[in-house]
Amino acid sequence: MNNPTQATDKSLEAMRHFSETYAQRTGTYFCVDPGVTAVVIEGLAKHKDDLGAPLCPCRHYEDKEAEAAAAYWNCPCVPMRERKECHCMLFLTPDNDFAGESQQISFDEIRTVTNP
Amino acid sequence: MSAAAQVTDSSFKQEVLESDVPVLVDFWAPWCGPCRMVAPVVEEIAEQYIGQVKVVKLNTDENPGVASQYGIRSIPTLMIFKAGERVDMVVGAVPKTTLATTLEKYL
Repeated sequence: MNNPTQATDKSLEAMRHFSETYAQRTGTYFCVDPGVTAVVIEGLAKHKDDLGAPLCPCRHYEDKEAEAAAAYWNCPCVPMRERKECHCMLFLTPDNDFAGESQQISFDEIRTVTNP
Repeated sequence: MSAAAQVTDSSFKQEVLESDVPVLVDFWAPWCGPCRMVAPVVEEIAEQYIGQVKVVKLNTDENPGVASQYGIRSIPTLMIFKAGERVDMVVGAVPKTTLATTLEKYL
């Protein structure tokens, strides 16, 4: 059973797979602290469940539904697509001090971090 | 025990705006990765400046009123309040030295 604050397994797996594929495609890497990666992917999956779109979990919104519909901050957001800027630290360019060497994270690794 | 207490929409006025000492507020959210990185830095600051600065945390998901009032967008955002006014802010997972330097200006 999922913790009520967590995403469904289906959405988590979808966002996990997206994150790996997108990192490879853009030549970006996950954070040296995999806890950061895990938390962000769980947050994206949770928004996918709740809003139908993976809205960035590292921002505050007046109206989450309206923001998801506007799509600007849906992952991958416009700043990421245009300039490889991810303030959530999910996708880091190799010159970033916090970039690790991995473009992979397993489902269990994520849940080990996000389980209460 | 955490050195930085949680504040809410209802306790913000008393705990932050009416504080006798400057207050550092860590605006965070549960599924924000960089918030995890900055949390230990905030705890260290709380211990280092004990008695000089009050350090508190505000969950923006659960307390949208204060977060919206101060125009919080990117999280984490660290905001400094003095005598009821916002005097400075730092956005993102910053190193301890950056945060300490910003804070020192208001002591």
